[in-house]
Amino acid sequence: MSKRISLKEFLFILPILVIISIFSIWPIVDSIKYTVFDYRLNDQQNSKMFLDSSFNTSGFNENAKYIAYYLKKDMAFIEAGDQKQEFERIMGYVSEMAASYSEQNQNIKLSGSEAKKIETFMAEVRADVTKLYEANRDVELGNRENIQLVMDDLDKSIIGSNFIGFTAYKQVLKDLRFWSALKNTVLFTSVSVFIEFMLGLALAMIMNKAMKGIGIIRTISLIPWAIPTAVSALMWSYMYDGGSGIIAKLFADIGLVQSAEQLLLTSGGAMVCAIIADVWKTTPYMALLILGGLQTIDGGLYESSQIDGAGKIRTFLSITMPLLKPAILVALLFRTLDAFRVYDLIAVLTGGGPGGSTETLSIYAYKIMFGQTNFGYGSVVVVMMFICVAAIATLFVKVLGTDLMSKS
Amino acid sequence: MNKTQTNAGVWRVVFAVFIALFMGIIIFPFFWILVTSIKPTNEIFGDGAYSIYAGRAVLDHYRTVIFEKEMLLSVWNSFVVSTTTTLYVVSIAILASYAISRFNFIGKNILLGLILVISMFPQMIVVGPIYNLFTALNLTNSYFVVLPYSTITLPAAVWIMVTHFNKIPLAIEESAKIDGATPFQTLTKVIFPLAAPGVFTTAIITFISAWNEYLLTITLNTNKEYHTVPVAVSFLRSQFEILWGQVSAATIVVTVPTLIVVLLFQKQIVSGLISGAIKE
Repeated sequence: MSKRISLKEFLFILPILVIISIFSIWPIVDSIKYTVFDYRLNDQQNSKMFLDSSFNTSGFNENAKYIAYYLKKDMAFIEAGDQKQEFERIMGYVSEMAASYSEQNQNIKLSGSEAKKIETFMAEVRADVTKLYEANRDVELGNRENIQLVMDDLDKSIIGSNFIGFTAYKQVLKDLRFWSALKNTVLFTSVSVFIEFMLGLALAMIMNKAMKGIGIIRTISLIPWAIPTAVSALMWSYMYDGGSGIIAKLFADIGLVQSAEQLLLTSGGAMVCAIIADVWKTTPYMALLILGGLQTIDGGLYESSQIDGAGKIRTFLSITMPLLKPAILVALLFRTLDAFRVYDLIAVLTGGGPGGSTETLSIYAYKIMFGQTNFGYGSVVVVMMFICVAAIATLFVKVLGTDLMSKS
Repeated sequence: MNKTQTNAGVWRVVFAVFIALFMGIIIFPFFWILVTSIKPTNEIFGDGAYSIYAGRAVLDHYRTVIFEKEMLLSVWNSFVVSTTTTLYVVSIAILASYAISRFNFIGKNILLGLILVISMFPQMIVVGPIYNLFTALNLTNSYFVVLPYSTITLPAAVWIMVTHFNKIPLAIEESAKIDGATPFQTLTKVIFPLAAPGVFTTAIITFISAWNEYLLTITLNTNKEYHTVPVAVSFLRSQFEILWGQVSAATIVVTVPTLIVVLLFQKQIVSGLISGAIKE
């Protein structure tokens, strides 16, 4: 029976709660938050997430002072008295406005009426200045262009909210590169997991029979799983190399590719290379998991099926497979999710190339986030990936009946 | 000899060939890298590239990667981060798993579900916010990278530990309780010695996952001084000219520690992998 947790018992789970809250749960929530903002680190106006608009006072002061300064310089060339007066008037207006924010030097939040006041001011100044320079278009004025640029900068001192709602999700659904990355990911995942499973099952069945030397076979099988993926990817990239790679040469010699150089340079070739490298690394692991499942099957069942006269195939289908199903499903689920989020292997082996033909969702998301420093859109791709992962897990648990929790 | 026996004999040979082929395919890349690592540079390209032995063996590539490229520094970094991760993750996992295995409390299934979800989600989803957090706190380029390592290592550690705790009979604890031991004393004095093999298995699996981590380190620790093995090795590839001799030598150097761990702890690793996936 469940009961309320006592303080002493709570202390046992406190550390894990703290750690997963900070380093797993909070980042997920934060990533989801990024997706509803136009959040780009390299763009000054979008380098933070602004739910409300804010006012950059130091930028405002600086640009207002420049406007006054340019007006003063250009006024010296004006002869008509009424035009001179107009220059004076605008100068005074700008300086007065700048003075009222000269005390502050950071971003502040504006009240509605204040924001309106500043926006009106900016529009008025722009209209007046444009009109003034238009009226004096025959006079040689040195800052005619400069003043326009400064007014553009002045407009930027009101930083609008970069909250964009679900716009980016609409964008991602129309993003051809996203669909191509999804297609590559699904292709990579389904083909590698299928091959790994078939080979792994065959190997496990054999290993279960041949008990002699099982220790050494198990040890060797563990090595590809145990070495870092980046290291194995580098080993394979050497063997695939057009100039000195032995696998590339082998494939060229038996006619699978036209020449060794072509192997990593064609889109199909690069994908096959990534899949082979993944199959090499994870088939032994799959075999060990299935072997573990096989070893829990009671040997007596096989004896009685033999006595009943069942053939090898019959025994496999009606005893081995049903009893092995839970172990297989769990292994398949975790392998599928692993392959779906593949990053290291592809990043080191092909970097997503050639021409994006091996670009998976992880690779694409990482490029947007850290290559273009666009955290907003990158997070959208990641969240889409998260949705796919959730769908795969649901499919396994609900449809195939994978049982993950019964152990405890 | 009757027909079935002949058949069995044939199958035995087929199986043996299959297994031998499998072992050969697993070992071949390592063998080939080893061969390349002792070839003189001019033999790695052109016709010499496909010969097994170039006529003379050189240790130049090893000398370069160890003394000039400081590959041993990355091995040391990996050792530091993996050991630290193992120590704190296993400690946290022991406490949590003991609670999950022994106490009945409201929200236990939520906690388990949460751990399961964390083990499934794409790691990429935490990288952005963690990067911003580390930049804000000025923790990039430091060993603090071990803290977010918990997302990848903690779920598996808890899973394996729970399986092991569940195997220890409750009766042992109940008698300790009758003798007046507190829950914490029961854990440290009674359960811990019994759970030691499980703890050890968890530690090995955690150590290997931490050793192999790539994404967080390459993002948070851009400074070469803090590169771990996978990251340092990946940088050998991105240079303009790929020096396969050095790549091979580096691969051999960094594979040795993994090889030692696998050879020594083969049994624990297999039991850890299986207890994560198979219910007994």
